[in-house]
Amino acid sequence: MSDAVTCKNLGKTFPGGVEAVSSVSLDVAHGEIYGFLGPNGAGKTTLISMLTTLLRPTRGSAEVEGIDVVRYPERVRRRIGLVFQRSTSDDALTGRENLEVLAGLHGLSPREARPRIREVLERLDLGEAADRRVSTYSGGMRRRLEIGAGIVHEPSLLFLDEPTLGLDPQGRAGFWEYVRDLRSRRGMTIFLTTHYLDEADQLSDRVSIIDHGRVLRTGSPVALKESLGRDVVLVRPSDPARDLRSLLAGLPGVSSVDPRAGDGEYRVKVARSESFVPAVVRACDAAGVELAGVATRKPSLDEVFLTVTGREYREESEANAPVPAGTTGTRGR
Amino acid sequence: MYREFLTVLRREALKWVRVPIWVASYFVVPILYLLLFGQAFDLGRLFPPGADGSVYVRAALLGAPNYFSYFAVGMVAFVTLTASLYSGTGILFDKQLGIHARMTATPAPRSALFAGSLTFRAFSAAWPAFLALGFALAFTGVPGLVGLSVRSSVSAVGAAEVVAAEALLALMFTALFLSFGYVLTSNEAYFGITSLLNLPILFTSNALFPQGTMPSWLQTVTAYNPASMAANVMRENLFPTSGYPYPPVVYLLGLLAWAALLVSLGLYLSARSLRVP
Repeated sequence: MSDAVTCKNLGKTFPGGVEAVSSVSLDVAHGEIYGFLGPNGAGKTTLISMLTTLLRPTRGSAEVEGIDVVRYPERVRRRIGLVFQRSTSDDALTGRENLEVLAGLHGLSPREARPRIREVLERLDLGEAADRRVSTYSGGMRRRLEIGAGIVHEPSLLFLDEPTLGLDPQGRAGFWEYVRDLRSRRGMTIFLTTHYLDEADQLSDRVSIIDHGRVLRTGSPVALKESLGRDVVLVRPSDPARDLRSLLAGLPGVSSVDPRAGDGEYRVKVARSESFVPAVVRACDAAGVELAGVATRKPSLDEVFLTVTGREYREESEANAPVPAGTTGTRGR
Repeated sequence: MYREFLTVLRREALKWVRVPIWVASYFVVPILYLLLFGQAFDLGRLFPPGADGSVYVRAALLGAPNYFSYFAVGMVAFVTLTASLYSGTGILFDKQLGIHARMTATPAPRSALFAGSLTFRAFSAAWPAFLALGFALAFTGVPGLVGLSVRSSVSAVGAAEVVAAEALLALMFTALFLSFGYVLTSNEAYFGITSLLNLPILFTSNALFPQGTMPSWLQTVTAYNPASMAANVMRENLFPTSGYPYPPVVYLLGLLAWAALLVSLGLYLSARSLRVP
């Protein structure tokens, strides 16, 4: 049986020579939650647009549920759901009417659609607001309705493009719970793009880190973090000009010492931060070095990103990702 | 495909009834034109009854009993054009709000998306025209107002020809302006194009002015204008005498050709705009 998603050297260059996705190869297994992590402008939306048949790749190939996305886009659309980065609901209609329209466009009869819509609205906690116009909905309600729009026809594979953009922490936690529930109850495969590190970490079985249109590393969040092999301790002397490299490198359990340019801080990779911290404090004291601070970090996807790209991860929005085909304007971005 | 078509049709209808001022404008605009423009601008009144000029005007009206009656039937074309002018704005706004992208992410046939919008918008452009005719007829019973005078009985075939002419006119104008909604991305460009087309379509037709009073080059253009063809079909069927060179069926065939051309163009342009880039 084929994978839910298979890409081979998939790439997209827009007219004018802008290369949004360079060459992506990946496989997503059935029932997997697959996270695609990268900063804005990394190529995530372009990739998802190609997989959901909204953009035509300029090179490579992709199959979704075993169906070629270029040759049989309509068949692919029948099998997948898509949650857009921004709200695509019609403000003039009620939440229920919006879902009825989408069910109808997926070819469902009103009789088939009615119970599904009722269930989706209840699950998304929109039951009471179902017959209110969407123009009266809060941001969180709109996002939930957007998810409903993606699943009302019960797809086997759901694509989520930055689904929690603009949600507060409570809304995001509720959303994560719902996504896990979709997988556990319906066996749905989830393909998720996000620029939130914690979202990729918490939700995904596997994560691909993408930057500048290239996949840099793929693995489970645990495996990616373990691949770093070490805890990180940040040591900051009071005097930024003081060179601590040899002192730190000589302490037990240290695998690397990385002075960070400009701020006088040292990133020290150690086997166990718990035993290293007392040792570094004692050693500095003995050497007459006054410390401004010592901080420990367990391996995180942030560290993984730093390791594979050579730069720190930025979560702030740059809002320069390509927009899905056929859309213009800026609402909700 | 019919289910997706009906879904688009229903969505269009729901959006339409949710904006009362939009619905009200369809009722009020024809009344205002008939009441203000139509009552004030009567070419026949420029001359005393029985004077040569008045006779000349009567002759130019090709069988219409008075200018208001001529104008009221011409209003059908005018109202249809006005009502269809903004057909493409819904598509344009859907594109800007991401709704269009959501719809194209579904497996619905692209032709169903176009046909659903076209059908509802054409229907909503057609019925105010009949409303205008109804109001003009009702004016005959209002003291101080000139009303529409029609022959005492209209045959079933004649009535069917009137309905067919109006349906074809609404269909072709709606298809034309809907196409602009698919092709364009800027509101300013859309309104610029509709402003450019609106008056030339109206003033190169005989909807408001008799063709015989126009310079010969304009008469040639007017003869091929679908608004003129629709008005001709209606005037030939509604007025007791007719001075038109061809029977209504000839004009209907002309309208059919126009409708086929513009609907095909709309289908082509919408399919092109919905194609995966």
